Amino acid sequence: MRVLLVEDEAPLRETLAARLQREGFAVDTAADGDEGVYMGLEVPFDVAIVDLGLPKLPGLEVVKRLREGGRRYPILILTARGSWEDKVEGLKHGADDYLVKPFHIEELLARMNALVRRSAGWSKPLLECGPVKLDTTAQSVTVGDTSVDLTSYEYKVLEYLILHAGELVSKSDLTEHIYEQDFDRDSNVIEVFIGRLRKKLDPDGSLKPIETVRGRGYRFSIPRTA
Amino acid sequence: MSARRQFSLAARSLLAASLVLAAFIGLTGYALERAFENWAFSVLRERMQSVLYSFLARTDISVRGEILVPEVLPEPRLERPGSGLYASIYSQDLRWESPSAMERELPFVDGLKPGEISFRGPIRTNVGGVYMLSMGVLFEARAPSGKDVRVTVNVGENQASVRRQIKAFRETMWALLGGLGLLLLAFQALLLRWSLRPLRDVESDLGHVERGEAEQLSGNYPIELAALTTGLNDFIKGERENLRRYRHTLGDLAHSLKTPLAVMRGIFENEDDPKRVRQSGLEQVVRMDEIVAYQLARAAKSGHQTYAAPLPVLVHAEEIALTLEKVYARKGALAEFDVDPKSCYHGEKGDLLELLGNLMDNAFKWCRSRVLLTARPIVHHRSRRPGLLLRVEDDGPGIPDEQITQVLKRGVRGDERVQGHGIGLSIVGELVASYGGELKVTRSEQLGGAQFEVILPPLGG
Repeated sequence: MRVLLVEDEAPLRETLAARLQREGFAVDTAADGDEGVYMGLEVPFDVAIVDLGLPKLPGLEVVKRLREGGRRYPILILTARGSWEDKVEGLKHGADDYLVKPFHIEELLARMNALVRRSAGWSKPLLECGPVKLDTTAQSVTVGDTSVDLTSYEYKVLEYLILHAGELVSKSDLTEHIYEQDFDRDSNVIEVFIGRLRKKLDPDGSLKPIETVRGRGYRFSIPRTA
Repeated sequence: MSARRQFSLAARSLLAASLVLAAFIGLTGYALERAFENWAFSVLRERMQSVLYSFLARTDISVRGEILVPEVLPEPRLERPGSGLYASIYSQDLRWESPSAMERELPFVDGLKPGEISFRGPIRTNVGGVYMLSMGVLFEARAPSGKDVRVTVNVGENQASVRRQIKAFRETMWALLGGLGLLLLAFQALLLRWSLRPLRDVESDLGHVERGEAEQLSGNYPIELAALTTGLNDFIKGERENLRRYRHTLGDLAHSLKTPLAVMRGIFENEDDPKRVRQSGLEQVVRMDEIVAYQLARAAKSGHQTYAAPLPVLVHAEEIALTLEKVYARKGALAEFDVDPKSCYHGEKGDLLELLGNLMDNAFKWCRSRVLLTARPIVHHRSRRPGLLLRVEDDGPGIPDEQITQVLKRGVRGDERVQGHGIGLSIVGELVASYGGELKVTRSEQLGGAQFEVILPPLGG
């Protein structure tokens, strides 16, 4: 999952970014409203976290411009004041959820996961496609009754594929949503991840969960159960 | 605000009075003048007529049929040339004119039939405008052999005397009317000074309040100003109350932060075990966070507003419901409304949003799928503005009776797990209290969960 974090206060931005990266997110940060809008329009994020009190351009305006620019990914706003006036305004401008500062990072993570799931059309934190179950809170994967041990990048690739189960996902989609901006991308790595996932999820080759659409990308082909 | 200052009350009143007075005096003068003119002319005509008749009475006809003009004329002015009163008598053989008409060309008439009368004037002549009364008369013959004689008698009078009369009348009349007008205006000005005095009193009393010499407007004001001064007093009181509350909140904040700060200082100075330092430090941070959140929320609400435009509850409730339905989308909960469109909230928009937001957020948090908002105006006859009933119900588990007081207790969190919980309800409690209202927590009859009822009483009356 690739996340945009727009927060002007450096210590908070850095601790948050570090924690989000540890949780498996690809994080791009912006320190002011202008930068936030620029990045938000350039990069196909999965979710954005926008502080309301930003230099150069207020957070509300950032949310508004991203929505006007046609970006549909969920946006969570952070507010220090916590007044209902702010919350109502924020959601009116197109944000999807709010969090009042200071907050527990666990709360932020739970809200972000829920937003991403919801925007992909999943209502519960447990994503189920036939025998394949991906628990977004525990970040664990099981096939039937056996749990599957995945590296963090393998998990990211699988989570993205299952969130968009049934849809065509190109290699560049995957790299864009899994790596941060400055990362040196090599699309061959994606092929390696897909190969390993196939082996781990479907050791005997009976399930064929990930379909290759030649020249265009991949599709998670087991239909959604819930 | 208009750029130009408006006319003062006194100027408006004086201007209006002067205009009305000028119109009134003008019309009256005109009417009086016309009436006097008519009267003066009818007097003139009557006088000419009596001169004519007395002249005729002294005129006779001889046995030979000659008209005998009187030797003594009925009016001495007829003898004096240029006197302005003229007479003539014309018949077939006679052309007599009074000495006063000598060498003046006057429009005497001749040949009127007996009994015919004409009155004309003013006719322009070389001696000015002249009125002329003429009459045809038949003198019957004295002797049976004689014949009747027809004559025409004229009496003329110069208009100058009437003009003089009218002029004299006009001068006197306008002088009187003008004097009366000025008198009335002066009286009006005095009256204004007297009736506007209470306003100047309010102004000076307000000055006392501004300079801190008085707490309130304390004068005994006339009934028309009582609403204004009572309102001003409410306003002053509200402002004082706000100031007091801000100071109080600030003081509370500073004092309540001192304890955790002291604890932290103690830990940093005396505790050597880094794990315990971290543990206790975090505890104090959580505590300070709670204190700040609570005091901030208390300061943010502006409290009772004496003068605030009524806010329609429906519009703002819809905003809140849309927000919450989005935030709780994963729950699929929906808000139902039973809101009387006349329900209005008299206060700050922020306060209304806090009330609705916190109550409905709480309901969304605990409900299974339904939240019901009811709003009704509370109308008492004679009240200056209606009160408001707000009821938020949910279909959740409800609140056990023994926990109700706990939930309403200021700043106490009912549930540590859900962020912000408890602070929200205590804000509602504070807000309701500052409006002199009531917050009741019961079980919902309709939905079976918790029911929060806020009653803001009507004001005044």
